[in-house]
Amino acid sequence: MNTRNFKRIAGVALLAGVIALAFWESGRRRFEVPQSRSEVVFWHFWGGKDRPVVEEICRRFNESQQEYFVRPVAMPGNNLDLKFFLSVAGGDPPDVLNQDDPIVADWAHREALLPLDAMASPEEIAELEGWLFPAARQIGSYQDRLYALCNGLDIRALYYNGDLLAEHGLAPPQTLAELDAAALAIAPPGEPHDRYGYLPDPRRLWSWGIVFGGRFYDPRTGVATADSEPIVAALDWMASYSRRYGPDQVARFRKGDQALPGAAFPLLEGRYAMIMDGQWRVAEIAAVAAAAAKRGEQVPHYGVVPLPPPPSGVPKAGWVNGNFFVVPRGARNPQGAWAFMKFWSGFDGHEGEAARACAGGGWIPASQAVVDHPTFQDYLRRYPLFGTFVELASSPEQVPTPGVPGAQFFQDEVIRAAEDAMYKLVPPRAALENANRRVQARLEAARAKE
Amino acid sequence: MIRTAKPGPQPTSVNISSPTRRRGKELLTVLPFIAPWLLGFLTLVVYPFVASLVWSFDRYDMLSPPEYVGTANYERLADELVTGQRFGQAVWNTAYFALLSVPLSIVLGVGLAVMLSWQVRGQAVYRTILFLPSVVPIVASSILWLWLLDPQAGLVNYLLSLVGLPTPGWFNSTAEAAWPPGWFSGQWGFGSKDALVLMSLWGVGNFMIIYLAAIGDIPLSLYEAAELDGAGPLRRFWHVTLPMLSPVIFFNLVMGLIHAIQAFTQVYIVSEGQGAPAGSTLMLSLYVFLSAFKYLQMGYASAIAWTMFLLVVAATWALFRTSRRWVYYQTGRGIGVRG
Repeated sequence: MNTRNFKRIAGVALLAGVIALAFWESGRRRFEVPQSRSEVVFWHFWGGKDRPVVEEICRRFNESQQEYFVRPVAMPGNNLDLKFFLSVAGGDPPDVLNQDDPIVADWAHREALLPLDAMASPEEIAELEGWLFPAARQIGSYQDRLYALCNGLDIRALYYNGDLLAEHGLAPPQTLAELDAAALAIAPPGEPHDRYGYLPDPRRLWSWGIVFGGRFYDPRTGVATADSEPIVAALDWMASYSRRYGPDQVARFRKGDQALPGAAFPLLEGRYAMIMDGQWRVAEIAAVAAAAAKRGEQVPHYGVVPLPPPPSGVPKAGWVNGNFFVVPRGARNPQGAWAFMKFWSGFDGHEGEAARACAGGGWIPASQAVVDHPTFQDYLRRYPLFGTFVELASSPEQVPTPGVPGAQFFQDEVIRAAEDAMYKLVPPRAALENANRRVQARLEAARAKE
Repeated sequence: MIRTAKPGPQPTSVNISSPTRRRGKELLTVLPFIAPWLLGFLTLVVYPFVASLVWSFDRYDMLSPPEYVGTANYERLADELVTGQRFGQAVWNTAYFALLSVPLSIVLGVGLAVMLSWQVRGQAVYRTILFLPSVVPIVASSILWLWLLDPQAGLVNYLLSLVGLPTPGWFNSTAEAAWPPGWFSGQWGFGSKDALVLMSLWGVGNFMIIYLAAIGDIPLSLYEAAELDGAGPLRRFWHVTLPMLSPVIFFNLVMGLIHAIQAFTQVYIVSEGQGAPAGSTLMLSLYVFLSAFKYLQMGYASAIAWTMFLLVVAATWALFRTSRRWVYYQTGRGIGVRG
């Protein structure tokens, strides 16, 4: 065979291979919509190990149904909001979307969402409001109307390495003064350290501000209060770590901490004795501990406590966000979307399904009824650290980002103020007053129908 | 003298119109071929260009119809510029990045090109090695630099610590190494913008190849003449190579400046999409993106984009004005041509 013929045959074979692969790939689509059912297009952001959990929930829903069929579309990445908004603007939105950014008020204000009462009866809505945890209800509300159904909460608490604390004769902190004392004992000011007792993260001003007794927004007056005394005090306390260790040292040591998964979680690496993080770290800690135990290595004792408050602060407090479903205006199948939302969140007699979903994904349920289900109680027995987060979920002091138009802008401006105070040593009050002024201007512009 | 019409055949109407008709026919033949491009150009370039100018005077969130607000968006920009808020910060960050990265890339590009023009063994290998980084996708190279410049575990800081040098915070620091007040504050160091400048030099191979080609075009007779006049290597470089390269340097200066002002991908990746830390990497293009697609302020974002466009035009115009003084064109324009 000459070279020319060989190239031709190879080219034809390659083309045939590509075509065969395309047919095979389309044939193994797992969510073919049966003709007798109406399709519900569901957009979500879960990828990696969470994606099979999500697809399993969809499969169970589809098996339970004669009328609707959910087709999940994974859109991992940071710009799901943008894609969704473009789809609404372009007139081709999905039927239901799951999201965790503070967008409910903003999108509802722009009339991009259907209120839940468009799909549910007043009695059902009243029952739902009582069924949800206070935080879950707030996350889904705008102007006292539910626009989103929360299916899982994200709560933050203080993880600690018990062995490391014990080495210094310390117990897990119950108060802010104890947290400071432990942080100082483990890493005295001076030379840079390889390990710190605790370092605040500017993004966590949202949590510490609430622990200090503050609120970022007054719904009665409609005024942003990010520069109120408790929040200024919280930021001043956070910036005290930068003054103590040097802003550059704090910035370079802690940047990216929150994004590091699994064994790279800084607590597991021994870079911190204490760190604030969410419930998703529980399963990671358990997995790493199990692997270490299998290798015959000694596993440090890890624990978790609620954020320790100052004397004038609030116990069991913090900032909360969560996952929620929204139905866009223009959705083709809102009733199908509503049936699916209820199935996953556990409302309307689906607590068992929600408990299974939460146990599968390591999520905190949005209702005590799901927490109480035997399936989830079983999960709590397997992961005892999770109990602290579940206990916090019912606290009325777990507060989400204010449900106002421009909430994302609000959230980012407060974080920027915290960064300015911690990394540039801008006086906390000045930084927060500046942020508050900008947020208030944005709020007023939004109310003038942006 | 009275002019009279020349005898001979008078032009007929057919003769007058046939070239026009032919041109029309040609146009009809050409149009279908260029139509796809033309359609794309009109819808993807001309329409957004004009629409963004109109929206820059509107309040617009994509869902509701645009509402005319006069010059409010531009007034907000002016206010933020004066008070050093976000837009002011973005202008400063962009200017800092552009004014450092463009001249440095020219110096490095010319230097490398001159060295690569030397006739040495393995010349092709050196050229390939130095050009390779510029074909690495920008996302991949940004992530690579994030790792290299990690202040805790990065290779660069590890090497610096081995020789006893201070280890900068790079992408985790708000420091500005080239800003004079920082030199005396005791807080001097390389910060996030300096790291971006360093990253931009990594892709200097593109410019280098253009300089290399231009060096190859310089007539050897010029060097021979200079040598006969007693010029050493440095004088030959200064009086022959640089003037002959000046049109290419000018081209790279203009293009580099435009690219630097529009820098987005690498900034988005290293700054967590937010301009972190503390807004030290908030560049103009990132600010346009955040305003438009995160906060849905399309009108305001359009105003930023148009201000950016005018900045680019002004900078390019200023460069063209100065180019008359230092760019040498063999074709008869610019310096070096007298009389």
